[in-house]
Amino acid sequence: MSELEQLHSHIRDLEERLLVAEAHAAKLVAEAEQQRMRSLELGARLSAILSISAALLISRDVDAIVQLVVQEAMDLFPGTNAVQLFLLDHEGDRLSLRAAAANGECRCGHVLAELAVLSPRAMLLTGPQLETALQCRNAAELGLTCAAQEFCPPSNALLGPLRVESTRMGAIVLYGGPQATLYHPRDLPFVQALADLTAVAIDEVLQRVRATTLQRDLALTQSLHAEAQARLNTAQAQLLQSAKLAAVGELSASVAHEINNPLYAARNSLYLVEQDIAADDPQHAFLAIAQQELGRIARIITRMRDFYRPTKAELAATSVNTLLRETLELVQTHLRHGHIHAIANLDPDVPFTVAHADQLRQVFLNIILNACDAMPHGGDLQVTTQLLQTRPDAPATIGIYIADTGIGVPPEHLPHLFEPFYTSKAQGTGLGLAISAHIVTQHSGRITVESEQGQGATFTILLPVNGD
Amino acid sequence: MPAWQIYIVDDDPAAAMITQRGLQTLLGERFSVMVASSPNAAWLACATGNVDLLIVDPNPHGNAAASLVRAVRTFRPAIPVLVLTAYDSPGLRMKMREFSVARYVAKPIDLRELAPIVHAILHAERPLVATVGPSLTALSVSGSSGK
Repeated sequence: MSELEQLHSHIRDLEERLLVAEAHAAKLVAEAEQQRMRSLELGARLSAILSISAALLISRDVDAIVQLVVQEAMDLFPGTNAVQLFLLDHEGDRLSLRAAAANGECRCGHVLAELAVLSPRAMLLTGPQLETALQCRNAAELGLTCAAQEFCPPSNALLGPLRVESTRMGAIVLYGGPQATLYHPRDLPFVQALADLTAVAIDEVLQRVRATTLQRDLALTQSLHAEAQARLNTAQAQLLQSAKLAAVGELSASVAHEINNPLYAARNSLYLVEQDIAADDPQHAFLAIAQQELGRIARIITRMRDFYRPTKAELAATSVNTLLRETLELVQTHLRHGHIHAIANLDPDVPFTVAHADQLRQVFLNIILNACDAMPHGGDLQVTTQLLQTRPDAPATIGIYIADTGIGVPPEHLPHLFEPFYTSKAQGTGLGLAISAHIVTQHSGRITVESEQGQGATFTILLPVNGD
Repeated sequence: MPAWQIYIVDDDPAAAMITQRGLQTLLGERFSVMVASSPNAAWLACATGNVDLLIVDPNPHGNAAASLVRAVRTFRPAIPVLVLTAYDSPGLRMKMREFSVARYVAKPIDLRELAPIVHAILHAERPLVATVGPSLTALSVSGSSGK
């Protein structure tokens, strides 16, 4: 009996222990389930963070980044009522709301964001802390400005400062619902991670923008510099050209002046002699020739002196084609002796233009003779004219191209070709092309040369067609 | 006695001689054409009042001829001045205009053309009475006193 009782009590004892064990087991199972859930949640959050980081890294625009972050934050922290993202302006003293998600907005955000910006790490504020934080501000102001009463003031909030190294950039604020404590301290690392990711992504975009701006500025500066340099070079070249031409002009003017006196004496001596000899004297013929030749010298001297001032009176409607044809005729023999084959491609549409025919003839002659000199063993001389007109109403230009198949111009000579006194010929004066360029410029035209050594040279003259 | 006295100032001796011989030949005995030995000599002649026309080449290398022109235009405005220059330039023309020299020709002009010009000047502007200008004692050309 006592044995039976003993057994009963033992059984009871065992049952009790079983119950305890079962309870313990159930508790363990529940705990295990909870841990599993938590690890699942953690896993989900980690993968969410990873996908956010991947998305942030490829974003190129601050607005896209902040929108993405607030949306993802809503998903990352279930039960969140609203997410707001604030960024500091350039001076770093004013916060502005850049993105918000879900259920409206709350002015508490500003207060909390200011708190968050100053904080070194993410914070979780629950009921009393939140109230303290918000009470720092004027309660009346809060009451007046908070439109969304159902979740403001929030029961708790997560604050994440956006900062890169020690630079404050803004803050992200997450509001829990008003009913219960929703956030847990273990959410803090995620908020911190999210905030850091956001800060890095925004910083990268800003740096990239800054780099692009700098690059553009640099490119602009460089192009401005190049332009200025080109202008300077042109100006210097023009200066050199005009200085040299002025020297030529001065020299020729002074020579002309010095020649005038002897010329005056010689001509008039001849005249006085002429007066003294009989009218039928055969010497008159020689005196006439001498007079004539002295007259020629006088005209040459006048031309030399007037090199700088072409008179308006000598300007007349001129056919460039005719001038070229005449010039080619003039050098016909020269060409034949030099075994040079001349080809003229003269566009019949080239109109008359007001020009100084003699001067232009001088230019053409100069270039054609140069071309002949460049072909000591013969070759082809191609003379082409063309009417260049981009639009029917645009001012027309006459293009004159004189090309040879000669030895070409060495590249080191090319930039100096039109400079006075620059010559590569043993017999050259270095004035032919300088005067040609001067004449073309006087006609508001341009003269250029293209040449490759051994491949000949092409002189291009562009003359505006002007009717006045 | 020749009616008209013409003085030539030209530092180029050959040109001066041709002007003198040519004008003398073409204008005839009624004119006495002389080459002044220096601008100063010409100035003295002008100042003493027996010059009817002064022909000057204002050589840019020296100042004497230009000073002579200025002095004559200032103190003997009645004496016509003809500039006959080998150094024709817009600058010289303007300078001569400033001295109110109205007659200006450039070498190498033919004597055939020069003679009628001289003739015309003398007939148009021959001073009837030699006017006497301000005192000459303080005057000299190119800093040296005339001999």
